[in-house]
Amino acid sequence: MINIEIDGKQIQTENGATIIEAAHQAGIAIPHFCYHKKLSIAANCRMCLVQVEKAPKPLPACATPVTEGMKVFTHSEQAVKAQQGVMEFLLVNHPLDCPICDQGGECMLQDMSVGYGGGHSRYHEEKRMVLAKDLGPLVSAEEMSRCINCTRCVRFGQEIAGQMELGQAFRGEHAEVMSFVSGTVNSELSGNMIDLCPVGALTSKPFRYKARSWELSRRRSVSAHDSLGSNLAVQTKNNRVLRVLPVENEDINECWLSDKDRFAYEGLNSAERLTRPMIKRDGQWQEVEWQAALEYAGNGLRHIANGAGAEQIGALATANSTLEELYLLQKLVRGIGSQNVDFRLRQSDFSADGKQQGAPWLGMSIADIGKADRFLIVGSFLRKDHPLLAARIRQAVKKGAQASIIHSVDDDLLMKVAHKTIVAPDALVDVLTQVSKALTAEKQGQSGSGEAAAIAKSLAGGERVTVLLGNFAQQHPQAAQLQALAQQIAALSNGKFGFLGEAANGVGGYLAQATPGANGLNASAMLATPRKAYLLLNVEAELDCANPQQAIAAMQAADLVVAMSAYKHHATDYADVLLPIAPFTETSGTFVSAEGRVQSFKGAVKPLGEARPAWKVLRVLGNLLKVEGFDQDTSEAVRDEALKGTDVAARLNNAIGGVEVKAIAAANGLQRVSEVPIYATDAVVRRSAPLQATADAAIPQAWLHSDELKKLGVQAGAMVKVSQGQGSVQLVAATDDKLPRGVARVAAGHAATAALGAMFGTITVERA
Amino acid sequence: MKYLINLFKSLLLLELFKGMTVTGKYFFARHVTVQYPEEKTPQSFRFRGLHAQRRYPNGEERCIACKLCEAVCPALAIKIEVAEREDGSRRTTQYDIDLTKCIFCGFCEESCPVDAIVETRIYEYHGENRGDLYYTKPMLLAMGDKYEEQIAMDRAADAKYR
Repeated sequence: MINIEIDGKQIQTENGATIIEAAHQAGIAIPHFCYHKKLSIAANCRMCLVQVEKAPKPLPACATPVTEGMKVFTHSEQAVKAQQGVMEFLLVNHPLDCPICDQGGECMLQDMSVGYGGGHSRYHEEKRMVLAKDLGPLVSAEEMSRCINCTRCVRFGQEIAGQMELGQAFRGEHAEVMSFVSGTVNSELSGNMIDLCPVGALTSKPFRYKARSWELSRRRSVSAHDSLGSNLAVQTKNNRVLRVLPVENEDINECWLSDKDRFAYEGLNSAERLTRPMIKRDGQWQEVEWQAALEYAGNGLRHIANGAGAEQIGALATANSTLEELYLLQKLVRGIGSQNVDFRLRQSDFSADGKQQGAPWLGMSIADIGKADRFLIVGSFLRKDHPLLAARIRQAVKKGAQASIIHSVDDDLLMKVAHKTIVAPDALVDVLTQVSKALTAEKQGQSGSGEAAAIAKSLAGGERVTVLLGNFAQQHPQAAQLQALAQQIAALSNGKFGFLGEAANGVGGYLAQATPGANGLNASAMLATPRKAYLLLNVEAELDCANPQQAIAAMQAADLVVAMSAYKHHATDYADVLLPIAPFTETSGTFVSAEGRVQSFKGAVKPLGEARPAWKVLRVLGNLLKVEGFDQDTSEAVRDEALKGTDVAARLNNAIGGVEVKAIAAANGLQRVSEVPIYATDAVVRRSAPLQATADAAIPQAWLHSDELKKLGVQAGAMVKVSQGQGSVQLVAATDDKLPRGVARVAAGHAATAALGAMFGTITVERA
Repeated sequence: MKYLINLFKSLLLLELFKGMTVTGKYFFARHVTVQYPEEKTPQSFRFRGLHAQRRYPNGEERCIACKLCEAVCPALAIKIEVAEREDGSRRTTQYDIDLTKCIFCGFCEESCPVDAIVETRIYEYHGENRGDLYYTKPMLLAMGDKYEEQIAMDRAADAKYR
């Protein structure tokens, strides 16, 4: 620790800290633009000049390390004169048209110019003009003349997002920030550049000219998309969500937000929103009153329970539903007498049920991930499924951690990967077994050769080893074996293992007991052996289930399908009752993130039209069906009942026993590898127009190794017929030589591939 | 004795003459009453009356939808909706002033960075129906078009004091 003095205040600070860090710790404000605590130091705006005793000239506070006994003056005559001078120069080329700038009212330059700017301009010559850039559908660079060249966006791309999509070209007065050869910004974290930009050069494209910052009300919320549980500030005006910004939480999302969390709100007011309850009568959809719709649903369910038996009723929900909704759904179904309830729609292996000691979770806190020094990431489309976790791991790798990958595709993770093994899905178990064996050997001092041994060696050399199972591993047909092997590897390397988690409430679903009971059917079995009645919560059967063909067939065969949904969608083909429910911004609720953090939130706006929070709908449905225990008045009461008397941390446990690891026979033909594309994961995201306009939301292609394509005699770019089960679709063929042979990568969860079958298994690709 | 003095005073009509003196004084003095509506009081060029929206000489509306007037309005009488126009410029799609709420403080004019919203000298207007005094953007622009000459003269006269 060093003692310094800032503005006469004695401060103790760490050795190596800069003046601006020390000042911020002590609550002293120093004006700055280019400095950001999460980014490297550029010291190019010169706004933070301060006077330091014995220094002949003012020094930049952001780039000057503190020394013992240093005396700093932030408001002395010399400092203020320097700051005013810098401000005048910054304003020389900055357009003075704040009234039409979208940043007006929340602009750092505007605020600073009030404090340090002159009352009038001495500059009467022509101002510099920079042409607008097209950076894609999310970030607007219409007003690049406003740029003050602080390079925060450039540094963010390089350091946090891992790819330098923006750079500063030319010199001096001609310096400008631009993308590489007129490319767009495709990073899944690009929205953060909008927050970082201290002026109005980079602004939000969907929010452009929508509202002024002072008109917006701010409500705290929690992200309903990925498993991270990012903290959000939902900004609303006239009962409409107009913008979503991050709320800083160092333990979760730091000060960032993924584009999915940031721009998904555009789907909330989609034209597809269901605003009134509807019933299908004689093949025609009719809008009805809530009472009529609920009675229709209740009577239908009662009729089937009394006639065909309660076990003919199945309930499916997505893991994006809140804890309260999932809890009431399972309570309702169990109250009728059925045990068929599940939220793990994309999972295909349920053999871990009953063998697992608790709810599967991340296995550690999110903050711990940043501290690990060895990673083994198994079966994860890390960057697309968990953008901010990937950023955290990227930071850890930069600090010296080693990341090893075992997966079926080799996407660029934009970080240094120590070792990787890319194999077909059916060989994943085998690879993990080898790593486990190599690790045992490594511990006995016998280093082997080959990739598995290299991975084992890397893991053995670590102190804080982290084995992470991604969505691909969780959805894999041998998920339980992968889990058991990950457990083995983690135990051998004295590390931790866990699941990255598919959706916002993947852990909450287990805590709400929305999993089948002893005699109940799981999500897969419920669709494989069709039920007479289905109760769907937030589910789009053809997009959210592991096997869309099977799901649609089961829905169409059912006598009664009650769909609780915020949107009109394909459920109109097979459902009998559509109940409009509120998405996460319009209801109160709770999400339990992958790390087991229970986060409750309140609604930001009123439900659209006659939509109602799903927990209220389920409550009334429970009353109508005369099930006991449905008299909660608030969502908090439901939450407290769901988590009553339990220590959440004690219920989280990845430990698994009694799983037999056995290799499966090599499959004939091509194996399907499927990810759920980043902007196809849930109903809200699928309807967000700006996200759907991004490159990541492009129509899925059939990706094959070029050797496989040659075998088929098809050129990349040509149409191919992809078939699986009874269905087939036409897709564009594409080559990816990083894919293993014998594999076809065809995305799931997208309308273009919904006619295909399961996410794993054999798939046929032929000339169209 | 007192009775006699009072009697004497009333017989001589002293009170009446006193009163008539005042009347007579004002009868010959300069008259200050304005015979409205035939006559009108002189107005300052800073008079704050009915609102108008101005255009530039080329016909382009001045308002850039910065919403400062909406923010500053103490009576919350202004409502603005914004959208990007086809040419990419920031424009209002709705600009309403509820004159029944307005307190004619002139802050909107004061805050306007482009002199788009102004208060004219017009104070003779009325509404016969509920809603007649709810001025929309076309009405405000029409006022501006009609009185632009006067408005411009008044702004010019005030310019040196601003």
